Amino acid sequence: MPKIFFATDLHGSEVCWKKFLNSARFYGADVLICGGDMTGKAIVPVVSENGHFSVALGGQQQTVPAEQVADVEANIRRKGYYPLRMTVERLHELDQDPQKRAQCFQEVMLEGVERWMNMASEKLRDSGVRCFVCPGNDDEMEVDEVVRRSDFVELGEGRMVDIDGFSMISTGWSNPTPWNTHREDSEEKLGERIEAMAAQVPDASRAIFNLHCPPYKSGLDEAPAIDADLKLLHGGRALRPVGSTAVRAAIDKHQPLLSLHGHIHESKGAIKIGKTLSINPGSAYEEGMLMGAIIQLDAKKGIKSYQLVNG
Amino acid sequence: MADATMGTAPRPALFLRNATGLVKAWSTFDAFVYSFWSVNLITLGLYGMSFAYTVPDGQILVAILLFGVLTTFLVITYAMLVSVMPRTGGDYAWQSRVLGGGLGFVLSITGWWFTLFLWAPIYANILNVQFFIPLAYTLGWIGVATFFTSQTGIFVSCLIVLAFVSVVVTLGMETYARIQKVCFWIGLVGLAVICGLLLFASNQDFQNAFNREAASLFGASGNAYQGTIDAASKGGYAGSNFGGIAFGSIGLLLPWLAFYLLWPNWGATLYGEVRGAKDIRKPFWSMFWGLWVTVGLVGLVMILIVKTMGWNFYQASNAAYWNTLYAVQGATYGPVPIWPYPVMFAGWLVDSHLFQAVLIIVMGLWFFGWAGTLFLSSTRVIFAAAFDRVLPAWAASISSGRRVPYGALVLMIVPSLVVSAIYAYQPTFTSVFLDATAVLALTFFATVVAAMILPWRRKDLYDASPIARYNVAGIPAITVVAAITGLFLLFMLYQWSFNPDNLYGTSFEKTPNSVIYFVATYVVAVVIYGVARYVRSRQGIDLSRIHHEIPVE
Repeated sequence: MPKIFFATDLHGSEVCWKKFLNSARFYGADVLICGGDMTGKAIVPVVSENGHFSVALGGQQQTVPAEQVADVEANIRRKGYYPLRMTVERLHELDQDPQKRAQCFQEVMLEGVERWMNMASEKLRDSGVRCFVCPGNDDEMEVDEVVRRSDFVELGEGRMVDIDGFSMISTGWSNPTPWNTHREDSEEKLGERIEAMAAQVPDASRAIFNLHCPPYKSGLDEAPAIDADLKLLHGGRALRPVGSTAVRAAIDKHQPLLSLHGHIHESKGAIKIGKTLSINPGSAYEEGMLMGAIIQLDAKKGIKSYQLVNG
Repeated sequence: MADATMGTAPRPALFLRNATGLVKAWSTFDAFVYSFWSVNLITLGLYGMSFAYTVPDGQILVAILLFGVLTTFLVITYAMLVSVMPRTGGDYAWQSRVLGGGLGFVLSITGWWFTLFLWAPIYANILNVQFFIPLAYTLGWIGVATFFTSQTGIFVSCLIVLAFVSVVVTLGMETYARIQKVCFWIGLVGLAVICGLLLFASNQDFQNAFNREAASLFGASGNAYQGTIDAASKGGYAGSNFGGIAFGSIGLLLPWLAFYLLWPNWGATLYGEVRGAKDIRKPFWSMFWGLWVTVGLVGLVMILIVKTMGWNFYQASNAAYWNTLYAVQGATYGPVPIWPYPVMFAGWLVDSHLFQAVLIIVMGLWFFGWAGTLFLSSTRVIFAAAFDRVLPAWAASISSGRRVPYGALVLMIVPSLVVSAIYAYQPTFTSVFLDATAVLALTFFATVVAAMILPWRRKDLYDASPIARYNVAGIPAITVVAAITGLFLLFMLYQWSFNPDNLYGTSFEKTPNSVIYFVATYVVAVVIYGVARYVRSRQGIDLSRIHHEIPVE
């Protein structure tokens, strides 16, 4: 029976992606599932001037010679940012022109996803491991096409797939967020999106709902409270449930064997909702740590065991 | 879409796009309030200071200052750990990931879980001596006051504390944060009134007021002020000189001060939920100001007590109370036979029982703004251990309606009820409760050791963290500050455990009950971990694998 390793919200951290690919051998997993939000949130300009490169990272400005710039770029990628070499003129151009900045972002993100897909092919080819990716609400729509082109990684979004007799449905869409990201639906439409897939599931007791957004009021959806100005309230300690009522309703109604979630990095946990084991492994991508869940499926028991790990 | 830039003009350091979770920084003040409550000047502070009489030649202000400086290293250590690994569970997460799962579980769970049972009755006792009893006497409700001094009264107070804590956990942190702020501001007004009363009254004014209220509320006759000093002398108290400085004695005061000043990091177990905690400045400044504002205020309050009440009287009143309670030979209560609450005494400078009652109620907000966090950190440690599958999954269960962490609450409340009953009805176990500070300090010590070796044990994590650039003479700064903190904690642990005079009532030699209790808690922790390891391995789960890093290449 398949042993699944699930991780989510890597947000461009190349170290985490490499660990994700290596997790199959490390944990003896047969199936890898990446739950969404693969792409990074920021570009860090690596500015070329006078034969040196200058970069500001973590509030620290540094200037390095050309032979050290690769190390600096690796450190930037580790944190989930995109290093981008550019001239001073290009830097100012991007600073002043939102259109060009958006285009630049898309280029580096898609290039990054492409590179990740190639890594997956190299690492997992002939391993017998299946690898699924389902872009999340932070991933632009064009990411899907890059994943779809991959000769090894399977795109999960919007369909049901069979995993050794278990049915998995996936979506990276979320309920509305204050950031107006790329894949957001009203709760009603998100419910319809999930229901369209769930209706195809032949047996809920052998179903996996891979839904990026966690269920509402599940404890897997506790995010720091913010005000209208996106400022954290009460020292960041006040938490509010921000999960999806549509996801919750789908789980309550269909009672799948397993539901896999992400989206809220701070809300790591594993809980039971009726018969369903719901997991959010959390995310610590900025530290280069891969938080994940190992789930051993079983023909009779459904879930033989599960474990949250910090790789 | 790319829609934002950050950095200093004219050159941007970073281009950000619209993405989930990009928020503006939290207010350091909000986090400061939480830290400030943790080192509570009034509740824990005045209670802890009331034991300073045991070191009569120790200069209290110098000791407070020294404690502030040394605890600053603890603050830096914890802020750095938060910056490297902002994890729910704090001490448990850091210890288990650096020292190993088993050792981390045993050392942290004994402090944050088993020892917190002991704090419930301590909180209840503080509620009694600072709220119920002085308020009842002030209002002339002698029967109520007497009830709360009885064994059942103490147990009822424990139940009130546990009920209050449960309600707070049920309300959630957002609601309680609002309650805390209200209590903070009104409590500060109350403190300002007390400081004003003490500032503008003379020692003679205070003596007159004390004698008047001792007669009015407690039926004392004659010079109750002098009577208090005389009563203390019968229990062996020989007087105290505020001006004397003896370095050794200052050191002996530190373990007493730990009772309230060692906790600016109390909220560190919650930082896994605090977005932006990786920026070391926020956790550091919130804890730093929580500590140092309290140090400043307690210094001010002590100076005003010395000026208006008289240092010798203050120490004598504490000596008379505690020595009688602990049955020191010859000891007897003074004319005011309750815990000497400086707030109550300051209120007596105004000849109005209504004013005095209102002042006690207002200052009671220092309790209610603070006490709600008693189990908050513990629930997070239990969550973290449950997520690691060391504890059963139900320990991290929350209700779907009000999101109450009922599993963790049950694990805290039920044993606390038992321990509260023991506290109330078995006085021979008192020494166990005196150890409550020491065991938490031991938990902190284990975390500090983890911090010292972090740069080598979890090199990748450390190198990727914002603190990797801080070094002292080529040694990682976290190692240096953790070593200083460790020496500080070791000194206090030595004094608690081996002080030849049993000054703190916790020496191993003199308190076999507490030794047995705490050894038992460590044994129970080892057994829980061993059983978890066995059960999980039968389920195909290898607990040792939780923290093993996956190779990158």
